[in-house]
Amino acid sequence: MIRFIPFVWRNLLRNKLRSLLTGSAIMLAISLVCVLRTMPDGFDQFLNSLAKNSRISIHNTAGIVYGMPYAYLARVRTVPGVVAAASWSWFGGAVDRDKGVGFPNFAVDADSIGVVFEDLGIDPAAIEHFRTHRDGALVGRQTMKRNGWKVGDEITLGSTVYPVDLTFRISGEIPEDRDPRMWFQRVYLEEALKAQGIQADQVGMIWARIDQAELVPGVMKQIDDMFRNSEAETESETEKSFFQNFFGVLEGLIVVVMIVTWLVTACIVFIAANTASMAVRERLRELAVLKAIGFNWRLLFGTLLAEATLLSTVAGACGALLSLGLTRILANQAAANPAMGPLSGFVVTNWLLVQALFIAFFIGIISGVVPSFGAARRSVATTLREVF
Amino acid sequence: MALPIGYPLRNLAHRRLRTGLTVVVIALVVIATTLFLGLVSSLRRTLVSSGSPDNLVVLRKGSDNDGSSQLPLEAYQALRFFDGVAKDGQGEPLVSPELVVQPFFFTADGGRENVLVRGVEAQALGVHDEVRIAEGRMFEPSKGEAVVGRGVASRYLGAELGQEMRFGRGRWKIVGILESGGSSFESEVWVDARELAADARRAIPYSGLRLKVAPGADRDALIRRIEDDSRWTLGAKPETDYYAKQAESANLFYVLVVGLAVLAGIGAVFGATNTMYAAVQARTAEIGTLRALGFPRSAVLQAFLFESMALAGLGLVVGVAISVPLAFAVSQALGGIGFGMSTFSTSVITLRVGGFDIAIAGILALAIGLGGGLAPAWRAAQLRPVEALRKG
Repeated sequence: MIRFIPFVWRNLLRNKLRSLLTGSAIMLAISLVCVLRTMPDGFDQFLNSLAKNSRISIHNTAGIVYGMPYAYLARVRTVPGVVAAASWSWFGGAVDRDKGVGFPNFAVDADSIGVVFEDLGIDPAAIEHFRTHRDGALVGRQTMKRNGWKVGDEITLGSTVYPVDLTFRISGEIPEDRDPRMWFQRVYLEEALKAQGIQADQVGMIWARIDQAELVPGVMKQIDDMFRNSEAETESETEKSFFQNFFGVLEGLIVVVMIVTWLVTACIVFIAANTASMAVRERLRELAVLKAIGFNWRLLFGTLLAEATLLSTVAGACGALLSLGLTRILANQAAANPAMGPLSGFVVTNWLLVQALFIAFFIGIISGVVPSFGAARRSVATTLREVF
Repeated sequence: MALPIGYPLRNLAHRRLRTGLTVVVIALVVIATTLFLGLVSSLRRTLVSSGSPDNLVVLRKGSDNDGSSQLPLEAYQALRFFDGVAKDGQGEPLVSPELVVQPFFFTADGGRENVLVRGVEAQALGVHDEVRIAEGRMFEPSKGEAVVGRGVASRYLGAELGQEMRFGRGRWKIVGILESGGSSFESEVWVDARELAADARRAIPYSGLRLKVAPGADRDALIRRIEDDSRWTLGAKPETDYYAKQAESANLFYVLVVGLAVLAGIGAVFGATNTMYAAVQARTAEIGTLRALGFPRSAVLQAFLFESMALAGLGLVVGVAISVPLAFAVSQALGGIGFGMSTFSTSVITLRVGGFDIAIAGILALAIGLGGGLAPAWRAAQLRPVEALRKG
């Protein structure tokens, strides 16, 4: 079969314009498929990255904005199985109040946050600096980059929730390219509020780390039972479940994106099938001659199929490469616009590239089968009678 | 002398498979584009149509959404008597103090979303003159009653008229349905401000206020006066600007949609070009005959261009015929498309492929028809009759 590859290639080059047009159409479509698939894929990856840890989120059953007493933290820490726990409160700090809140920033408990989020791989020295400096802050790499900040820089955020401005010194980085979060010490905020006569005794959420996965359901139940029938009943859930719910609102968008992806994929099938049928129709006479001089129909079917598949796979490979460039443009756009959360990373993973090649390969086969089979099985006598 | 219109049309009907495949390609591109475009324009329609230019949103400076703001009571009391604030028939200032809280609501398929619950007082409907009670009645204060937006009623469990539902810490009876011409108020729930403050344990009962500027008053002067007041750090902006800013989150989608439409469109042009080239090639002898009969080059050019345009037109019709009901079905199945990561509350968007989206798809199809037909038609027109006839 290998020795027929040059023959297949020659056939493709016979009508260069057509092959080029078809190839380009497939290339564009495959690149679109890749780009679109980055959206649901990024979402899944984000959730799966959270499945590994056994951190839980504890918040008010009524809603995240409902808050809980800060005193809950101490009680959560006493539950057997909880390795460490830290509270977490929205500050709504903005670099420039006129421009609004550019990234999420939270007041956290400095003594335990590093332990609770140990898996983020923050430099222990940075955590130590953060813990020992009241105005310290840990900032996600995405936010560092976007604002051009370095470790050691001094930054001031004006809260859009409380009537305070706070100045921080960056202790270190949360080393994750797409992490926008910033953490600072809760006591620092408490003091600033106290100076204004405001009591800060509420927290938005508590994160607790539980090392043994099998303990998680029991610990969650124990915590929720502990606060049942109180002012603020709690709901505990795993980190994955929390973010699944938090970003669950994007589900509708994902459905639409998936539909569009399927439509574009179907498009490629039809473009390729059209071309294959044209190529075959033109060559009916030649195929009849080949069969008449003794080539069997299976071989002819194989070469025709190979032709469609080769074209589509090569075009698919180009499309996959093109998508790398396209996603870079989109990712830059998305950086200025966090509205789509984990959908807007636009990262084409190797796995997506491999899938795109497979899609292209199978589309080639599917599109080639019907016309090639018909042509290869056609009776020689009929064909020759028709065309001569 | 031009060729009769029936000629290109019959030609399309003659090569059914090839025409069919190309029409399907164009139709798929049209569906994909209109669906995506419909999503963006539905989102924009919802946000941009919200609010009135005569209304000001007053929040803590820097808050770009109601939920994260707090407004001192004294500020409310003072602002009511600022110059330029409209008054109703009884001489009451049209200032609506509001508290926004986002409790969890649950969708039928178990999703948990933050829904904007707006605690309001008697002036609310006077200030928000686009909002009306479409069914049922307005809530009565301190009776645990709520009115819900149209989008909320259809998306969340227990949110229909007459039902009782849990959100926040309490139980609420749904006594009315809000409508506001499809704008984002239809994704909200309205309850009594004091009840909501008690439910959410808020010491400061208001997160912000909305006020109506008196007709003829200087809006910008009023904004300056509010913002420059050194007692509070407040920000004021026209309601329309406030929602337009939220609509910016749709911009990324625009980039995506335009990119998709252009790339898919180019792909379809290539597909159409192939089909038309094949058509020209198959009909070489016929073209020679036509030319020999005395039809000028322009007639041949026109006929082939028309054929290509008809192909694209057919694709457009098929595509739109599928995408409009498809969008409707998707929207129904999902109870509206949720959106709104930036404001921490869910906007429920009815996905609709509208006239604008179809018009854009029409332009795209036109471009595909022209782009795909031009080169082949040109080649057909350039054929020399003698050689063309010999080829047949």
